[in-house]
Amino acid sequence: MASTTVVELSRWQFAITAIFHMTFPALTVGLSVLLAVVYTVHVRTGNPLYLQIFRFWKKIFAVGFGLGVVAGTVMTFEFGLNWGVYAHAVGPVIGVTIGMEVITAFFLEAGFIGLMLYGDGRIRPRTMALASWMVAFGTLLSTTWILSANSWMQDPVGYEKADGQFHARDWIDILLNPAFAHRFPHMLLAVLISAAWFVGGISAWYLVKKRVHARPMARRCLSIALGVLGVLMPIQLYVGDGTAVFMGQHQLPKLEAFEGNWKSDNNGYNLLVVPDTDKGENRLHVEIPYLGSAIAQDLSGRTNTPGLLRTPPEERPNMWTTFYGFRAMYFTALLMFGTAFAGVVLRMRRRLFDSPRFLKWLVWTTPAGIIAITGGWIVAETGRQPWVVYGQLRTADAVSQLSVLEVAVSLAGFVLLYVTLLAIWARYIVRTVKAGPEALPTGSAAPDASEAHVA
Amino acid sequence: MLEYASYALVLFSLALYVVLDGYDLGVGMLSLAARPERRREYGEIVATAWDANESWLILAGVVLWAGLPGVYAVLLPAVYLPLIGMLIAVILRGLGLEMHSAAGGYRRGWALLFGGASLAATVCQGLVLGTVLTGPHQRDGVFQGGAFDWLSRYGVLCALGLVALYLLAGAAWLQDKTEGWSRPEVRRTGRGLLVATALMAVVLGLLLPGADPQRFALDQPLRAVLFWLAVGAAAVAGAVAWYGFGRRPDWRPFAAVATMTVCGMLGLVALTAPVVVPPALTVHQAASPHSSQLFLVLGVGLCMPFVLAYNLYAWRSFRGKYTDPVERPLPPLPARAHPSTAPAVPEGGARTVVRRILLVVLGILAAALSQDVFGGVADWIGPVGITVLGGTALAAWIAGDRRDRRAGYFDADAEAESTS
Repeated sequence: MASTTVVELSRWQFAITAIFHMTFPALTVGLSVLLAVVYTVHVRTGNPLYLQIFRFWKKIFAVGFGLGVVAGTVMTFEFGLNWGVYAHAVGPVIGVTIGMEVITAFFLEAGFIGLMLYGDGRIRPRTMALASWMVAFGTLLSTTWILSANSWMQDPVGYEKADGQFHARDWIDILLNPAFAHRFPHMLLAVLISAAWFVGGISAWYLVKKRVHARPMARRCLSIALGVLGVLMPIQLYVGDGTAVFMGQHQLPKLEAFEGNWKSDNNGYNLLVVPDTDKGENRLHVEIPYLGSAIAQDLSGRTNTPGLLRTPPEERPNMWTTFYGFRAMYFTALLMFGTAFAGVVLRMRRRLFDSPRFLKWLVWTTPAGIIAITGGWIVAETGRQPWVVYGQLRTADAVSQLSVLEVAVSLAGFVLLYVTLLAIWARYIVRTVKAGPEALPTGSAAPDASEAHVA
Repeated sequence: MLEYASYALVLFSLALYVVLDGYDLGVGMLSLAARPERRREYGEIVATAWDANESWLILAGVVLWAGLPGVYAVLLPAVYLPLIGMLIAVILRGLGLEMHSAAGGYRRGWALLFGGASLAATVCQGLVLGTVLTGPHQRDGVFQGGAFDWLSRYGVLCALGLVALYLLAGAAWLQDKTEGWSRPEVRRTGRGLLVATALMAVVLGLLLPGADPQRFALDQPLRAVLFWLAVGAAAVAGAVAWYGFGRRPDWRPFAAVATMTVCGMLGLVALTAPVVVPPALTVHQAASPHSSQLFLVLGVGLCMPFVLAYNLYAWRSFRGKYTDPVERPLPPLPARAHPSTAPAVPEGGARTVVRRILLVVLGILAAALSQDVFGGVADWIGPVGITVLGGTALAAWIAGDRRDRRAGYFDADAEAESTS
């Protein structure tokens, strides 16, 4: 048994590296789809606006994609570095799934990203469009495999245990596990939504700041972003609700923790709790009465939410992280739903591009999608504790034989590096946005000069 | 037998990694010695391919995990610090490269970061290699050694050898890709690095029996023949590289160096197989069960031709000498035909207040509907509700988008003309 310090430090390291990694796919998966779409439209219509959009968002996409890839590489190796026992036990299942992700998705992205980012002017436009679609397809495929692997850890099926290892019995059961059916659509919608939100926020900034040259691009992107949000947000709430219900059936302690109840006698919905883990009660809680019952589909208000005291103490997840992770995700999602709803109303009232307060709100909430996704993953991962493979392998038993010194050094290194990287990346985004898109000559202004450019 | 296929896949990916990322790590290290104005070009040469090149290391890692979890679980904790160091270096290298390529200013700093991180990543890889060859201390598939076991004399020599090899590959790649070096200059650098690499290879080879706890069975005829064949082929490839540096065709030195590297690896495998972690952890003991092997080998094997094909295609698209890409300037955008502003709606007053209250209630109702709060009343309410909401949003989007396009919202503004 490794010391508890090594387990704790390794958990922190994995959490930090995972959250840092997730920030980038949260944007780049959706952005890759946007880039593929606008480039295709450009090829088909010849409208230069779409090329301008492509070139602008490509700059933000490229750096985010690169950081996402290298941060993902770290996680691939961390499984073996910090979690050697886990790696050995689940290698025959999770190792193979991740292996398939690398060969089918990762390579697809990596093989075509060079063409997509550096091919302009070197390869034919149609090939560029194909490369952009391949990158987008790769990112979506990657999301699929990763969600399959993680969902299996949430609700393992289709295996048999032998020699301390999980051996695959039925690959279809493993890859298309029940948790995957709920969590994959939830995550797919989440990454598309968070990217659309990001695009919408930055586009709104150009309109708020009255950047005349960027206006056509900003309006075009805002229209796309809010259109996507208006359609996807209702679906996402529905799918998210389904995922929570599924977790209530398959991983009850997680639901008990994220609803913030100890005793199972509350029909309200907790907005805020201050849990006391040792005593098994909340020192403080703020609730909306009857709402918990309503969310559990009982409008009469008689259904109580199950509490964490039902679970034995050694199998309880941490209520702090699980509850507030869930609140971060859910409250942000409700705000996003309201905003998307307002966007649809404004659109119907023809005031979308001329509503300063709405646009300012969009600018301020630009990172909302990333916050919601981070919160969601905190629920998924800390709510599964103390298990790494739910009900089968405890996190404390999964760690490598390492010294505290080693893990402390690597954790400090990652924290230092990632904080710096986030700062650099944020500054890069701000600079790129402030610099604005490449100037677009207008049709009627000095036609001679613009023709000379083309020639 | 399937475990040998997994082992072969690991080796194949690793060989491709060493050849491909070897040259871009080498170019990175060489950029440290290059004149500042050349550094950008070096960076751009790597930028088009580093992502794909690095993927081979990830593939090698995950196939090792899936196919030989016993090795993965023992080896990685044993090389914890150097491997973490390599990952951090790889991140910094990617950052330096992408920012160098994308950011406007600070070229010098990013270029130095790219070069320095390339060197650090190579050294860490050498230390990892050294640890693997000298055999980490393990019992029952669990690493039992100390935190600094990797810091051995043999490990340091491996790091030096790998630096020399990658520098050599980088120089060969630069001869293929750039016009910047004069031929005598290329010849001098390339041959110097070739001598250094060969020297390191001989030293490492002679010290290996002392450093590696397993007994090399070179008295087995097949093993001996394969080993000496590989060594001989590596020597021939080295001679071709020697001849090719500074002579046309420009691709020859790189091809020769790549062949040399692969032959060197094959020689090592001929010497050690089936042992993966010295002294005695073999492919059989470390392998995952049959079901996983089968899925892995079939899945990865079937995808491999496609992966190789499109990598080759991407690689061909950037073949030949590096030239600065020419991004055509954007063609003009039609100016807004009918600059119309939104219809003026009187704000304030009782009507506005009532409308807003109604909209808020409607919004809350819509959220409750989407969340399937009414699922207890009837099952169909949720799905029908989100279909109605999503459908309305879709219709509003399409209609609004068309109207905005007709109104010229996506064309250049009249103001833009006056200010430009």
